[in-house]
Amino acid sequence: MSRVATPAARLWPAALARTLLAVVGGYAFTYSAVAALARLLPGEPVDVVISATLVSFLIYTLYVLWAFAVPLRRALLSLLVIPPLALIGFWPNLFAGAA
Amino acid sequence: MAKQASVTQSMSGLHTWAGLIVGWLLFAIFLTGTLAVFDKELNWWMQPELHDTGLDQVSAVRVAESWLRERNPDASAWNIGLPTERGPSLSVSSGEQRRGQRTQLDADSGEVVVPRETLGGNFFFHFHYTLHMPRSIGIWVVGFAAMAMLVAIISGVIIHKKIFKDFFTFRPAKGQRSWLDGHNASAVLLLPFHLMITYTGLAIFFLIYMPAATDVLYGGDREALFSELRPGNEQQVERAGRAGEGGRAPRAEVPVAQMLPLEQFIGRGEAYYGEDMLGSLSVSNPDRANARVEVRPVMGTRLELTKGESLAFNAITGEVVGAPQPTRTTLLTQKVMAGLHFAQFGGYAMRWIYFLCGLISCAMIASGLVLYTVKRRRQVKSDTRWLRQAEWLNVAVIGGLMFACAALLWGNRMLPANMAERELWELRVFFGGWLLALVHARLRAPLRAWAEQLTLIALLLLAMPVLDMLLAPKALDGLRLSVDASAAAMGLILGWAAWRVVCQPQAVKKTAGETKKIRASRTGVTS
Repeated sequence: MSRVATPAARLWPAALARTLLAVVGGYAFTYSAVAALARLLPGEPVDVVISATLVSFLIYTLYVLWAFAVPLRRALLSLLVIPPLALIGFWPNLFAGAA
Repeated sequence: MAKQASVTQSMSGLHTWAGLIVGWLLFAIFLTGTLAVFDKELNWWMQPELHDTGLDQVSAVRVAESWLRERNPDASAWNIGLPTERGPSLSVSSGEQRRGQRTQLDADSGEVVVPRETLGGNFFFHFHYTLHMPRSIGIWVVGFAAMAMLVAIISGVIIHKKIFKDFFTFRPAKGQRSWLDGHNASAVLLLPFHLMITYTGLAIFFLIYMPAATDVLYGGDREALFSELRPGNEQQVERAGRAGEGGRAPRAEVPVAQMLPLEQFIGRGEAYYGEDMLGSLSVSNPDRANARVEVRPVMGTRLELTKGESLAFNAITGEVVGAPQPTRTTLLTQKVMAGLHFAQFGGYAMRWIYFLCGLISCAMIASGLVLYTVKRRRQVKSDTRWLRQAEWLNVAVIGGLMFACAALLWGNRMLPANMAERELWELRVFFGGWLLALVHARLRAPLRAWAEQLTLIALLLLAMPVLDMLLAPKALDGLRLSVDASAAAMGLILGWAAWRVVCQPQAVKKTAGETKKIRASRTGVTS
């Protein structure tokens, strides 16, 4: 249970980076995950919007917990998942815009 | 650099940070939310000019109808706020504004009553989800705090599992230990409540907080989603629109017609919603051929949050022209979540359960915040400057807000009833009181600040029944006495807390001595 005490000055940047990742990265992750869910879930659009949005708080919470539980580098890697998820959600919108 | 911390350690850090950063916000949100459980009762308490005539709704409607017909025969609409269990006053208004300036009527004589202007219990309700900021900013700040609360709850559960195991191996240290015990007990006992109230709180503004799905499927157009969600309401809007056109057309064009006596619609509405379940009644285009009556239930006819729902009648024939549509399953899920948060179902028994649970939540948050400072004070390399900030901010927020709330209730009775801009002055009393408490907390040593503020708040609350009897003796009825009694009961609890703080110094000295020993024995090791 014991660990070597690290001077507070050196802990701050790491804690700040992790908090930023959890709050901002977590929101971006949740946003794109919900976007993908909205595209993938079966059912009528209104039902899908409500279901996908209601679970978003659970996704966000779990992401924040996870981001604090794993090494910072691995947590940062999760940001790579955001663009594909967003793409799943928004590709028809983007495609329609291009056409 | 330190080795990678264990999951429990990282969760502990997360719990501390999430808890501390938003803990002050959360305390404000939870305390005002707890008080808002009794918002209508506080509204009633804060306008002692109103009195309960004990008149039933049918007679009240009769009084209101004749008053409205006499004063506002040509209004486009009449609105009647019915006396209910939680607010036994009769109010009327005419024209479009359903919630605008209402005129209070004495249900016995039909005379106008002018109650004092007041923030009312509504203030606590609005503060609960906006923190008195502009609404659009406030709900985001509160939403952020609620997310942090969710994270703090779950990380708290993860740490707690471990703490339970470590419980017997730690050396008992009374001061910190008892704070931890208090924090854990209130957290664990009510864990389902904390989770429920936080998640359902987020679910109320869910589409605002997370617009992703709306962006994907509706191009971000929430209105399009809403109109699709409630086809029943869409029809109502259309009909209302048509009725509105009729209203805009010269009223002379619509023939005059004899409406059914409005009191009859109470029975018709109760047949649908149940006895004593109606909250208001409104008439559009009164005394014309296109007249229409709508009755609205008080919230709480069921678990689902039914805000704005109504049953509409043709006012001439009495036939039902618009009934609320059953809600589709997914929306029902969300509305039941919102209903669980608003606690309008289940009557007073449920209201008291929510109130007590809310108080325990406040105690959990407050004890968590205090625990942080108690723990830091014992730690080897704690930054004393930061510790001092956290200590006085704890008093300023926890003590200060409670003092501000008590001051608001006192201000309601002390400020002259017919004062100009009275609502604004109540607001000044609230925030002025808070500011004073903040300065006091900054100037005094933490324990003294705690003792003094808690004692003062306890005295203010304990004296509330006396204050009420001296300044508004005629207004005392069951509802107002319950408010006074509840305030006095909370005064007793806070008085006990103050007494504990005053008796604290010995414990602190003991702890301080122990700390030195502990520090000597485990330099470089943090717990």
